[in-house]
Amino acid sequence: MIRALAFALALAALPVAAHDLRVFASVSGQTVTVESTFSSGRVPTGGEIRVLDAQNVLLMTLDIGDEGKTQFALPEGAANTGLMIEVEVSEGHSDYWMLTPDDIAYGQGKN
Amino acid sequence: MKALMTAAALAALATTATAHYGMIIPSDNMVSQEDGRSIDLTLSFSHPFEGIGMVLERPEAFTVTHGGKTTDLLDRLQDTQVMDHAAFATEYRLVRPGTHVFAMTPKPYWEPEEDAFITHFTKTYVSAYGDDDGWDAELGLKTEIVPLSKPFALWEGNLFQGIVKLDGAPVPYAEVEVEYYNEDGSAVAPSDLMITQTIKADADGVFSYAVPTAGWWGFAALNTAAEPMQHDGEDKAHELGAVIWVHFEPWGAK
Repeated sequence: MIRALAFALALAALPVAAHDLRVFASVSGQTVTVESTFSSGRVPTGGEIRVLDAQNVLLMTLDIGDEGKTQFALPEGAANTGLMIEVEVSEGHSDYWMLTPDDIAYGQGKN
Repeated sequence: MKALMTAAALAALATTATAHYGMIIPSDNMVSQEDGRSIDLTLSFSHPFEGIGMVLERPEAFTVTHGGKTTDLLDRLQDTQVMDHAAFATEYRLVRPGTHVFAMTPKPYWEPEEDAFITHFTKTYVSAYGDDDGWDAELGLKTEIVPLSKPFALWEGNLFQGIVKLDGAPVPYAEVEVEYYNEDGSAVAPSDLMITQTIKADADGVFSYAVPTAGWWGFAALNTAAEPMQHDGEDKAHELGAVIWVHFEPWGAK
């Protein structure tokens, strides 16, 4: 319940009408991969990724990598609570992926 | 005697006025990340407007195509019942964003009343996580409706367009039957002619249809195979149906 509330607050902070950026995150083992693309298929040339925990605490800020892909190590404890991954490119182009404990377990072959 | 004949005539009308449809109906066709990660799919064979079911034998093929890759899902099908007849169901996890095309090739169905075999190559398109990439995918089925309109994210009243293909080539003036999945039985047709509406494609095999209401609509393009099939030692016609199921959304006025 607390986790759901924290995620809801994080969502509320994002612009609503920015659907042209698409963010997807997945897990393989202990590595999180974030993929950022525009709906046109092009990838952003720059931008910022913010990784927050279930209590909405900022854990790290990363640059969008080559071909829109960014990788980082799964933070300790994230497997149980999930992560909120926000990506902001520019001028209101933003999106998020809510990496759930189920997503993480799937990426680790646990479900 | 007169009453008997009338009943027989009515029965004949009832069987000739409506169309058979292979069906693949997902629990959701535009899955957002908040919706979860899996959908349920139900495969059946029916007269969808009238809610009359038929037995669907275990299909010859059931696949999902995503990002140009096709995966066999046949072994995942579980027995279920749709409209009181044998059908199949499965749950599928949408691992990545983009359009997932689910396709079924049923076993040929012998229809004695039409003195013909029927095979409906049936498919539906599901978008995952706000990504419509791959919405116009052509699977290369024996016969297929290739969408020209995105086969999801459509309002009621929108025009749906597709190209009818047989062996990979457009079929000029192909006949296309259109029927509403009258799931709750609330729709009423003023004439049997309106249970299944029939339209034709143009010279390039392109057809257009504007749906009057939200819900699932089935489009079935019908052709006859060049090769007949054998039934009791006789050559019989083999109807090849290219079926696509498309969901239209209610207008979102406040």
